Amino acid sequence: MKSLCLPATLDALEEIGKYIVEAAKNADLDAKAAYGLRLAVDEIATNIITHGYKEAGKIGDVAVSGVLTDSSLTIVLEDTGIPFDPMSHNLPGDDYLSLPLEERPIGGLGIFLVLKGVHAFNYEHVDGRNRNIFVMNRPVGTPE
Amino acid sequence: MAFDAKLVMKDTVAMITLSGSLDAASASRFKEVIEQAAGQSPTKLVLLMSDLEFLASAGLRVLIFAKQKMGAKVDIYVVGSQGPVLGTLEMSGFHHSVYIQDTYIG
Repeated sequence: MKSLCLPATLDALEEIGKYIVEAAKNADLDAKAAYGLRLAVDEIATNIITHGYKEAGKIGDVAVSGVLTDSSLTIVLEDTGIPFDPMSHNLPGDDYLSLPLEERPIGGLGIFLVLKGVHAFNYEHVDGRNRNIFVMNRPVGTPE
Repeated sequence: MAFDAKLVMKDTVAMITLSGSLDAASASRFKEVIEQAAGQSPTKLVLLMSDLEFLASAGLRVLIFAKQKMGAKVDIYVVGSQGPVLGTLEMSGFHHSVYIQDTYIG
């Protein structure tokens, strides 16, 4: 699959979303799985743009690419913002999720939605680049 | 689809129609409309969401902001939400704090 490289601003989210919708269609993911993947990628891309670049005073790109096999669709987001492992943050537990909205601290939901939306998620920092990797299993018997 | 949020006051009820994609790129627009609504001191906030296609955590954070800005006594109604958008609200535990309805019943 062709990759896409965009300036790391919030305007990139729409283009990344379109890329994921198309990739999910090519992978024959059902609507729920496609939505979960789009949401997961949108959450991480938002973190990259806001925390990895903007708040760190950095300017750069975010690249999205996809690999389709018989059994899975893998999407990779790559950036050169500050190293940031999304898994290093505590996930909201049942206590948080049952708190009334007026008592909730702002934040903490993004990574939770990432992990709920995809079959596997990994982060690595290689050669100065953050790589966020999202894997979706394809429906059984789907031809490539 | 581009995000849009339209506020209409019906007596003391703030009704906001949401459509399109609500994520970090559009959350600031939603927050502006929530602030406009809060300025009218509504007794209820009704969010008409049948045309909202996508909801990310940035949008959920604005809902938390709305509840905190308007106060716990201002009930929030989420109307017409369906499919994965509704799934995201439920997964995040928001159904404990807002009234979820197919059509608005005040």
